[in-house]
Amino acid sequence: MAATVLPVPFERSPGYWANVWRRFRREKLAVFAGCVLLAILLMAIFAPYIAPKDPTFGTMLRRLRPIGTPGFPLGSDELGRDMLSRLIYGARLSLFMGVVPVFIAFFIGSVIGIAAGYIGGAFNMVVMRIIDVFFAFPSVLLAIALSGAMGAGITNGLISLTVVFIPPIARIAESVTTGVRKLDYVEAARASGASAFTVVRTQVLGNVIGPIFVYATSLISVSMILASGLSFLGLGVRPPEPEWGLMLNTLRTAIYVQPWVAALPGLFIFITSIAFNLLSDGLRTALDVKD
Amino acid sequence: MRSPEPILSIQGLKKHFKLPTKGFFGREKPVVRAVDGITFDVIPGETLGIVGESGCGKSTTARLIIDLIHRDAGAILFEGKAMGEALSPKEYRRHVQMVFQDSFASLNPRMIVRDIIAFGPMVHGMPQKEAEELAYSLLTKVGLDPARFAGRYPHELSGGQRQRVNIARALAFRPKVLILDEAVSALDKSVEAQVLNLLTDLKAEFNLTYLFISHDLNVVRYISDRVMVMYLGECVEIGPVDEVYAHPRHPYTRALLSAMPSMDPDKRTMEPPLAGDPPNPINPPPGCRFHTRCRFAEDVCGTVSPVPTVRGSMHFAACHIGTPGSGHSRAGETT
Repeated sequence: MAATVLPVPFERSPGYWANVWRRFRREKLAVFAGCVLLAILLMAIFAPYIAPKDPTFGTMLRRLRPIGTPGFPLGSDELGRDMLSRLIYGARLSLFMGVVPVFIAFFIGSVIGIAAGYIGGAFNMVVMRIIDVFFAFPSVLLAIALSGAMGAGITNGLISLTVVFIPPIARIAESVTTGVRKLDYVEAARASGASAFTVVRTQVLGNVIGPIFVYATSLISVSMILASGLSFLGLGVRPPEPEWGLMLNTLRTAIYVQPWVAALPGLFIFITSIAFNLLSDGLRTALDVKD
Repeated sequence: MRSPEPILSIQGLKKHFKLPTKGFFGREKPVVRAVDGITFDVIPGETLGIVGESGCGKSTTARLIIDLIHRDAGAILFEGKAMGEALSPKEYRRHVQMVFQDSFASLNPRMIVRDIIAFGPMVHGMPQKEAEELAYSLLTKVGLDPARFAGRYPHELSGGQRQRVNIARALAFRPKVLILDEAVSALDKSVEAQVLNLLTDLKAEFNLTYLFISHDLNVVRYISDRVMVMYLGECVEIGPVDEVYAHPRHPYTRALLSAMPSMDPDKRTMEPPLAGDPPNPINPPPGCRFHTRCRFAEDVCGTVSPVPTVRGSMHFAACHIGTPGSGHSRAGETT
């Protein structure tokens, strides 16, 4: 093979992810949901600068004020703390509890699922049957059981939520990988003599990570609601820490006195989780490039 | 004529797929005998065509030879060295490469053409820069302008262009043997002809040996030096392509060739077409596997497996009719 002309500059097509981004921008609803989430994220990050008051400071004299009270734009809770400040600060923990368990589970579940899918055979059988055992429990029950057994607290809540989300992500990863593994380009890479790890890294990963990621983002809303549920039951975040689920819990006794104030944390949970779902829907459409 | 030292020697290759069903409590699991004891040699520089009906084990044979599926029995010798023993599978794969049928599924949709071609050499330790330059020069060789195509993704190429990339990818290993598994079957006729001509040119330039698997008898005749006919996981006939096409010895080969339409009305086929489907490879018929569909079948065919016999130079067929003393009433006749 003699040295022929070597054209160093060549036309490079826009990559797959550039295509995905172009398609995603066409999904108006998903872009809007993304903006809402960005706003909530910024609100969480800059909470100390935005919040008008200390979220943990309350006076018993100003308990359960209605929405629109001077000094309490969104009313006050059962201990006289400013609802607006608590909702702003609450975004921190609620987002954290929604995103972090899914994020960890995304890594662990992907590794388990891709390994099971790629290796196949008896290894796949054993791993997936173990995963199936976790599916026997409803996810809420499993989260409650795990964090109940380990005791209340943020860390234990985080661990139990992560454990809850590993099986579904692993299952999706396994099914996507099983589909990709049989394709000829993976076979061709195997026929090159490359090690299994190289083949997975260069050929499989890029083709399976998209669908797994989309599925994982759809779990964030579930995670937020489960985390809120744990807090509501007194298993997750402990008072006086502001967290939307916990706020919903402590305010429930006031539902007949100030129904609108009591419903506010629920509204925030609802908006955030639905925004995550819409974002995930848009991502799925954008990733579904027919190559 | 003594045949030269084979570059690739396939000896008694077997693959039985176990079916997962009905294997409960000690009952014997059903086994598909996809490839059941195939022996043949590939001579350096030749093109060996492999033909047969769908499901006869052509593609399984290809995947066995390149070790994508592991064989149950048999040996693969490359230049006299047994793969897996004297020759490591990784080393072996540098010499024997494969072009897949589905040009779309065989290219990673997330990689640009240059990286697809450069991947193989890099696995074998070539520095990235060098591998990329090799990719450019190979793209030129397969008739694609690197300046236009090196940076493209597979979905931006046509079927013929993708198959050219596939060929370049296989050639990047600088192999000695190339297995072409239905490599042109999915292309339309004009593109197929272009790719066939390209293959012919590349073979001369790189001193390649081809193993050309196809169901298209015309294409096999055009490109092959020798042809092997497979039926139900076995080799029924192998010989020089002109001799096999002009004087087929095995009744199955004859039936296969008669199914080939002729443009000349005087050469109308008189051979009745084959009836029915090939038998189930889970329980292949005893004796000669073809006897359930063979016009000349007699008692001996259902009990004794025919042994390949030679006629002329290197024209083998496994049929009792061509075997003197086989017990067939027409034994020893020149078929």
